[in-house]
Amino acid sequence: MKRLFGVFVNGLIVENPLFIIMIGLCSSMAVTTTVANGIGMGVALTFVLLMSEFIISLFRNLIPDSIRMPIFLIVIAAFTTIMDLEMQAYFPVLSKSMGVFIPLVVVNCIVMGRVEAFSSKQPVLDAVFDGFGMGIGYTWVLIALAVVRELLGNGTLLGRQIMPLSFTPMIFFILPPGGFLVFALWMAASNDLRRRLLAGRKPEPTQDSCCTLPDNGSAEKA
Amino acid sequence: MKRWQMIKLGLILAVYTIVGCVGLAFVYNSTSKTIAQRQEADLQAGLREVFPKATGFTPTDTVKSASPTIVFDAAYTANGPSGSLGIAVKVHGPSYGGPTTLIVGVSTDGTITGVKVLENKDTPGLGANAASPTYYVDKASKTTFPGQFAGKKLTDGFVVKQDVIAITSATITSRSITNLVQAVGKAASEVLGIGGSSPSTSSQDPRAVLPTADTVRTSSKPATSSVPGVSILETSVGTKAGTIVGASAKAKARSYDGDVTVLVGVSTDGTILGVQILECTDSQGSPILAPEFAQQFVGKKANAPLEVGTNIDAASGATSSSRGATALVKATADALVKALVGGGL
Repeated sequence: MKRLFGVFVNGLIVENPLFIIMIGLCSSMAVTTTVANGIGMGVALTFVLLMSEFIISLFRNLIPDSIRMPIFLIVIAAFTTIMDLEMQAYFPVLSKSMGVFIPLVVVNCIVMGRVEAFSSKQPVLDAVFDGFGMGIGYTWVLIALAVVRELLGNGTLLGRQIMPLSFTPMIFFILPPGGFLVFALWMAASNDLRRRLLAGRKPEPTQDSCCTLPDNGSAEKA
Repeated sequence: MKRWQMIKLGLILAVYTIVGCVGLAFVYNSTSKTIAQRQEADLQAGLREVFPKATGFTPTDTVKSASPTIVFDAAYTANGPSGSLGIAVKVHGPSYGGPTTLIVGVSTDGTITGVKVLENKDTPGLGANAASPTYYVDKASKTTFPGQFAGKKLTDGFVVKQDVIAITSATITSRSITNLVQAVGKAASEVLGIGGSSPSTSSQDPRAVLPTADTVRTSSKPATSSVPGVSILETSVGTKAGTIVGASAKAKARSYDGDVTVLVGVSTDGTILGVQILECTDSQGSPILAPEFAQQFVGKKANAPLEVGTNIDAASGATSSSRGATALVKATADALVKALVGGGL
């Protein structure tokens, strides 16, 4: 149980997909102009990641190594389409505001990356916890980015006016350059926290060992 | 052996694909009805929003789009307690991040009753604000971007940043929606038979620019312009009691990013009697269609220099189009003077 919890927590800070593994950045820049979109995208990705990791881990011994990539893609694309349809049917407002980003979950590197590096080699339970942890790790970063960008760039939070009306929204934060700035500041804060968490525990994994990802795909055991 | 290996892999891949497809088919079947219902409900809600007083909507196919990029998906006549209230059109056209779909209502009295954004794929937080019910272009009166069109007259210019307030940092979205609304307005007003709604349909009769003539006939010798790019389409001669008093010509030339067509009338003494700007397809050119712009030319000598900024005021927001139109008026007037002097008309 403790091991599973470790796998889950791993995705939050220590191996955060956006701040440490640094994959799936494009969508995170694009959707974080409003908090609602950030939450929606986070939930959507978490669902797809969780289901894909579960299925692929379940069938990991039945997937021939040489055609694993197309099979991963089929599984991921199927779950993305399922979620897209479900959202259109039951959450039309969210589906409208997410627009083009939902189909793009298919090519979100986080899903492919975690499936390839983790769940295709790990037992089902570990894979599910990893998918959940990575999904939450992605979601909190999106929300953190979106809170700053929506508040400063539009003066609102979740569509509600927060700043006084005299406040002139700084459009810069809605535009991509502002997104990168906010992203960098959050990343600095998150990495500082990570350094403290890992201090004295063991030699800190370097960026390289993170990105190439050791056999089990987990820095916890690296 | 190797071939068998490949076939085996292919079969495995096929199995995964089939399972995936069957799964999708089930989900699609269970959701497609709901999705279709939602879209229909959205459409009905949108129609009700632009015509709150309507008792029902009858599909009509009389409203036609004049532009190949602007597509009218469906058009409805809004039925009121005492006859038709107007026309509502579901329209889509290109915007920044893909097609934008709107419902536009046009009332029989020549105003826009309302605009509802059904679908917009532009940048979240910028262009997508067009569809946001909480994004106000005028925070004091809580007017949303589509909301500002309600009650707008079809005779207005529909120029973003002049009579239409743009969405901050989303000028392209603002323009494309404004264009869609205007396109529907024009098409619907023709069906509804509202006169004077679009300046481009103003009288093209040469008589209008030859007020001193009692009869106007087509010229037996068309005027020609020496200015490259100016094509004179029709030449007419105005006579009074058998004597030629002036000539008019319809001419067309390239302007800023479209074409401009003008009708110019010149008297035998070389004075411009009348000018009409018939059409301007520039993206920002509609302000020059205002009669006030064309009126400036009247009474000026054709051989005098006509220049925007010196003796011609540009229509605000359309300086380039004003220059194009002015150059064309000048070239046409020159050609007419030459033709009048040459005789044989």
